[in-house]
Amino acid sequence: MAVVTLDKLTKFYERGQVPAADAVSLEVNHGEFVVLLGPSGCGKTTTLRMIAGLEPISSGALSIDGRVVNNVPAKDRDIAMVFQSYALYPHMNVADNLAFGLKRRSVDRAEIARRVAAVADTLGLGGLLERKPHALSGGQRQRVALGRAIVRDPKVFLFDEPLSNLDASLRVSTRGEIGKLHRRLGATMIYVTHDQVEAMTLGQRICIMNGGRVVQVGAPLEVYKHPANTFVASFLGNPPMNLVPARITQSNGRLLVKVGAHLFELAAGRYPALTAGAEVTLGIRPEHIATATNAAEDGRFASIDAEVVQVEALGAETIVTARVAGVASELFARLGPDPDTVVGERRAFLLDRYAIHLFDAAGVRIPAHAAEA
Amino acid sequence: MAAAKRAALLLVLCLYTAFAAGPFVWAAMLSLRTTTEIHRNHFAPPNPAHWDKFAEAWFTSNYAVYFTNSTQVVVSAVVILTVVGSMAAHCLARYRFRLNRVIYFVLFSTIIFPPQITIISLFQILVQYGLYNSKLGLTLVYVAIQLPLTIYILESFFARIPSDLFDAARIDGYSDWEIFWRVSLPIALPAVATTVILNFILLWNEFLYAVVLITEEANRTLPLGIQRFIGDTQEDVGMIATGLMIAIIPVVVIYAFFSERLIQGMTAGAVK
Repeated sequence: MAVVTLDKLTKFYERGQVPAADAVSLEVNHGEFVVLLGPSGCGKTTTLRMIAGLEPISSGALSIDGRVVNNVPAKDRDIAMVFQSYALYPHMNVADNLAFGLKRRSVDRAEIARRVAAVADTLGLGGLLERKPHALSGGQRQRVALGRAIVRDPKVFLFDEPLSNLDASLRVSTRGEIGKLHRRLGATMIYVTHDQVEAMTLGQRICIMNGGRVVQVGAPLEVYKHPANTFVASFLGNPPMNLVPARITQSNGRLLVKVGAHLFELAAGRYPALTAGAEVTLGIRPEHIATATNAAEDGRFASIDAEVVQVEALGAETIVTARVAGVASELFARLGPDPDTVVGERRAFLLDRYAIHLFDAAGVRIPAHAAEA
Repeated sequence: MAAAKRAALLLVLCLYTAFAAGPFVWAAMLSLRTTTEIHRNHFAPPNPAHWDKFAEAWFTSNYAVYFTNSTQVVVSAVVILTVVGSMAAHCLARYRFRLNRVIYFVLFSTIIFPPQITIISLFQILVQYGLYNSKLGLTLVYVAIQLPLTIYILESFFARIPSDLFDAARIDGYSDWEIFWRVSLPIALPAVATTVILNFILLWNEFLYAVVLITEEANRTLPLGIQRFIGDTQEDVGMIATGLMIAIIPVVVIYAFFSERLIQGMTAGAVK
């Protein structure tokens, strides 16, 4: 177990170019599972590779347990990494793949055999030890890659999109295994992914990155419920948060928001810092939009009219896409399994006032009063 | 219909095999006949078969010396080519450094010069360094002429090895030197085997450089030895054929030994 501290880590691949990672600061605590999440090219893998010692650090400091390791080679950082491509040595069998790192560290033969057997047993690789990687399925290869990391008993585990080459069902089960592994080993783990489901389910904390910078760090639900800006709001959630331009007005001391042709009142006292005339972006998650028939408390909801353009029945839920007059982007609503709506219909959608997020002109969240749904 | 197709295919295969193997079989028959017998009838079967011609060629016609010389020169050249070529290819494929592609281009562009152009200057260089008429000199020349092609073949293979493997080995604690020997080279073995076979066959049969750079009897290689049986007015066809058969043995052995790897390298994706 170890504490990994990133202090303004920056990486330039070419001098004078835009940095791939830009002043990334993050502290990963003893035994913590932190997920670096972001779209392709956001700098998350670059950051992970700097931690691993596979990329030189352009500026900033990286410390493990308080010791700056910027210039310590990868092999001396006591780190194990699981790669997206598994990176199994194709000319070695499973047992040799598992033992390769231990052999270099002069662990004696009996101890290597014992540890390889123990790891193979844990991961269900017992019958595969003599096989070469090309004779394994994707899931088995992934487990060998995990085993190769575990067998070393390192201070820190790094995962670089380890599930992205697996099919959907295997991804779910392997995700569960990684979660169990973390609970069992209690090791410090840093996990890179662009898949928000992996991030939400595995991470104790999520570090969301965009354009080489850290945008928000926090517990998964906290980040989901309180996105720091419109990027996080639109990146997390499927469908993502609805974001529409809006204008704040005031009438009789009450704050109103104008979306397209609709004008409705915001929850009283929720945005103390907000003033009339502000141009904002209104955000609301699809699950906080209801249709007239399943809304119980009238006062809690603001009604807007929209035309239904698509109904996607997924079984457990239905995603309804609707168009609001005067608003360019379409609105997504997550409704129950049997919604009473059809394509082409014009109807009222109800927005939960306590679940509305407002972002300023720069896209930054406008602080809201704690009383949220 | 399918049977007719099959029969047609078989016929084409038989014709091609006869075309390709015919001269070889003929030379094999000639190797067991004396020159007098051959002049009497060019295509007669070897009856009786003079197996003793092989012993005669080996012991009295100096083939033992030529064979040993060829083996020494070619094996040394192939070993050096394989080690230096794969290291250079690994380096060019794996590391990003200034002028990487320029070096690669310069190395590879030397292939365009025909041997007739370089041989005079090579001769001069070897004379100046005291390497003319020596097996070491010929070995170095062989390394020089085959290195660009060796690097070209290996570089494209090394470049296909995913860089994640090198990263994994680095994290596993291995140095760049160890990674080359323990990861890169074993993975590239099918391609390495291809270059070994290719270089061995090309150099084993090489004649032009050898005939210009070697004149001493004690240093002659097999192709030069065979040439000795071609005189100004007559040639010992029977002995030439026997020499050819002796010369061909190592090529067949090498091919049999490496062919499995060669096929592996050409067909299967070694890096999966």
